[in-house]
Amino acid sequence: MMSTQTNQIVNQTSQFSILSEDQKERIFEGMIETLRDTGVHLHHDQARDLLKEHGALVDGVSVKIPQNLILDALATVPPVTIVQSWDGSKKTRIEKNQVLFGPGPTPPNFTDPHTLERRKYVRNDASLVARVCEALPNIGFVQSLGTISDVTVSLADVYEFAEMIQNTTKPILSWSYTRDTCRDIHQIAIAMAGGEEAFKQCPNYVFYGEPISPLLSDFHAMDKAMYNAQHGIPQVYTPCCIGGGTVPATHAGQLVCAFSESMLGVVVAQLINPGTCVIMGGVQSIMDMQYSVYAYGAPELSLLSAALTEMAQYAGLPMFSTAGCTDTKVLDPQGAIEAATSVHSAMLSGANFIHDVGYFESGMTGSVLQLVMADELIGMSHVVAKGIEVNEETLSVNEICNAGPGGAYLDTDHTKKYASAFWKPTLMDRQSYEDWAAEGKKTMKDRVIEKTRDIIANFEGPISKVPEAARQKIAEILQAAEEREAQKAEADNKGS
Amino acid sequence: MLEKTMLIKMNQQVYGTTMFQILTDDQIEQIYFAALDVLEISGGLVFHAKALELFGNSDALVTDTNRVRIPNAMVEQALGSCPSKSNLTGRNGKRSIKLQKNEVAFGSGADAHFVYDRKTGERRKFTLADLEAAARIVDYLPRLDFCMSYGRVSDAPNAAVYDRYQFLAIIKNSTKPLVVTSIDVNGLKDQWKMACLISGGEKKFRLSPLFANYITSDSPLTSNTEIVDQLLFAADKGIPTIYSPCSGLGVNAPATIAGVLVQTLADALLTMVMCYLQKPGMPLILGGVQTIMDKDNKTLSFGSPELHLASAAGTEIYKWLGLLSASPGGCTDSKVVDEQAASESVMSIYNSFMTGTNLIHHLGCLDSGLNGSLSGLVMCDEIIGMIKQIGKGIAVTDETLALDILQEIGPGGEFLSHDHTYDHWKEWFRPTIIDRSNFEVWSEAGSKSYNERLEPEVDRILESHKPEPLDQRLIQEMKKIINLSDKKEV
Repeated sequence: MMSTQTNQIVNQTSQFSILSEDQKERIFEGMIETLRDTGVHLHHDQARDLLKEHGALVDGVSVKIPQNLILDALATVPPVTIVQSWDGSKKTRIEKNQVLFGPGPTPPNFTDPHTLERRKYVRNDASLVARVCEALPNIGFVQSLGTISDVTVSLADVYEFAEMIQNTTKPILSWSYTRDTCRDIHQIAIAMAGGEEAFKQCPNYVFYGEPISPLLSDFHAMDKAMYNAQHGIPQVYTPCCIGGGTVPATHAGQLVCAFSESMLGVVVAQLINPGTCVIMGGVQSIMDMQYSVYAYGAPELSLLSAALTEMAQYAGLPMFSTAGCTDTKVLDPQGAIEAATSVHSAMLSGANFIHDVGYFESGMTGSVLQLVMADELIGMSHVVAKGIEVNEETLSVNEICNAGPGGAYLDTDHTKKYASAFWKPTLMDRQSYEDWAAEGKKTMKDRVIEKTRDIIANFEGPISKVPEAARQKIAEILQAAEEREAQKAEADNKGS
Repeated sequence: MLEKTMLIKMNQQVYGTTMFQILTDDQIEQIYFAALDVLEISGGLVFHAKALELFGNSDALVTDTNRVRIPNAMVEQALGSCPSKSNLTGRNGKRSIKLQKNEVAFGSGADAHFVYDRKTGERRKFTLADLEAAARIVDYLPRLDFCMSYGRVSDAPNAAVYDRYQFLAIIKNSTKPLVVTSIDVNGLKDQWKMACLISGGEKKFRLSPLFANYITSDSPLTSNTEIVDQLLFAADKGIPTIYSPCSGLGVNAPATIAGVLVQTLADALLTMVMCYLQKPGMPLILGGVQTIMDKDNKTLSFGSPELHLASAAGTEIYKWLGLLSASPGGCTDSKVVDEQAASESVMSIYNSFMTGTNLIHHLGCLDSGLNGSLSGLVMCDEIIGMIKQIGKGIAVTDETLALDILQEIGPGGEFLSHDHTYDHWKEWFRPTIIDRSNFEVWSEAGSKSYNERLEPEVDRILESHKPEPLDQRLIQEMKKIINLSDKKEV
């Protein structure tokens, strides 16, 4: 039917906003002023020289960055970056308002999905987490939820990546200790892509690096950022800012600080390789003053993350945000409350990579149970976030008039067409009390554990599709890395 | 440091709160026009004699099958006289709830048939003692604003007038404004009479109503006689009324969210016009349970995201029309206070709060509203605190930008010991049952899960909280009203 309407503005999705244009402008100006007047401490000679060459004021480790350098850097960041999975099956777009959820990196502990006890994270857990992520429909990227404790300590990052990339086709956000292991990971990714050219065409992972709050970048953080910029590897350069600890207790001040800390990475990366993808953001929350704990479940995390996302969008940068995490120590309603709150906020904000889904205990423990539960919450949140389609057919005036007052809508063509779009829960129970009781009065926790164990036992993931050549190459890379680290250790011993 | 001179910053527009919007004005208008079409083309079914007479004497068309078709001009006229502002006032005279655009209040649920016995853990019928306990908890909880008659009591001295006993039970135990349910118009009349005793007369009640009456309808666009009785009495007396049609998507309503919104709005507008014809000016609070149903099409889901979406959009429509809104929130399909109850409560409270729903009811209700949980109320209180913290938005001022402090402390420094931190950290949300201690501290305290911390808090409130007592003479007067009806309704 031909439309007879004109002048219609439509919300294609729900709209959510914390900051007005004027508020964003002031925070943006605050970032410019901070980098210009307060500056940063940068512990990397080469990076300081580069910045000095382009007009920054360098004094010892202090670097003050003039605004033109910042504006020039923002002018060359790419509006769209595409990451492709190693088997070519998935393309992930990094662009404004394109939302993905995933776990976070590096907690020392892991909730064992079988014993439910807290224990050290081991090598097998990395492949397990990758497989669980692969199985969950609302998880869009992969991080490890732990630091491997049972391999050569300085290579935990490389083993983790090697395990994960063979067990998932979703993009991995990797991290590394040094430029060396950063290169190892890059080499593994090239092996999986089937060669350097293929990787250059379309990278198959994103690197995650972290400056130190407030306003400080250590040697390794910057060194890795420079490596990734040189090689065109999309990278996250984001701090963990602790409100009232490493940054001001007021949210506006925290946003200025977080923004400034990421901008240093953006500026250096764009000077090295204009057009390379750098993602801002980070973990933004407050210090719990009762327990001196960095609160991963605080509502302030949701508020700050959504606001910083708006700043990223304002600046034209992609955003690395945080949600689905909790301060609880076990799977319980607290974990659900905190995850649901942050997941919905992050979803509505439109951040790109929303990480730390599955963190327990303020980031000290990774839990696939929390991850599996959050997957359901993401699905639920999306129903509200995607909004309402309003058109002649969905308005259903004919259906309502045909049915008449108190009329029935079951089994009409209109119902058949649209009822299939209802959200289908996998962990939420909607049975009658009697049916529920007859099935053993299971709580959601029981169902989360069942679903998690079922995935672990029965979902194989893409490991069998990994080409033999890539598998061998990875073994060689790991072997060479072991030899290098052994030599380093020997040199260190001699030195001391 | 730069010299501080007076800074004049002009043309600044800030978000005083977080902003959330599902529909544009154009989309809302489409829904409104569609609802007007439904009222003109199809209309509603009315059986009530007085209501049929009112419609018959108006410009509406009344058919011999009791179908009432309403020209949109009548709707627009009625809209003009429907209050955009009212209030609810507790028995201590505090006008604690502002019923006006973007003001949000939270309260417990309604008429749950069951409760979990706190000693045995077994499910059993709701009693007057449970209702009193629930009212005391609502009275205590700082973020709950109104007290609803939480359970359908099974042990009223006279079951035919149970609603009066429920009223007495909650008014004795809570100073917060009430939302009540009524068996029929006589139940409403008695509760209104009791409220007038406390308010100090009919006109004082009209100025500062002590309660709102909650009416549900499970057959959209069909006004059953009992409901109309109550509505017309409420219109006469200016009793705030929550009108809440219950619609199952694809069962008794279209399967699209836009469609169910059209149907619910048409139903609401029909009701509004009817009340207007009786007497203009009744505070009508529009809501509804618009959700999907279980596989047997018997039970409405109280936790589905479709409910959250439709409720929030409904509020937007009523705001746009200058009307007052209500929706369910903090309720769940789960049978226990578990991760599902927590998640569904968060999602509903989040969306209904951010969208600015006036009265968010059914907090703490489990099992699609069949079970009233005292623990659920306490959990929701904390959730509301968290959501309100996000709803506050972010102040952007020289003080909060803190650029001077940042410069003073500089790269690599710490803010913990700075006065600026001391001045501002108290603005953060502080949890009560949620625990942020580290693993060691938590283990030493007995490795307690959320539920294991929640239950003792419920016990503590029940043991320690004593609501401000209600004047014994008033209680005696109210009992007289109940006794009169007791004798009539046997």
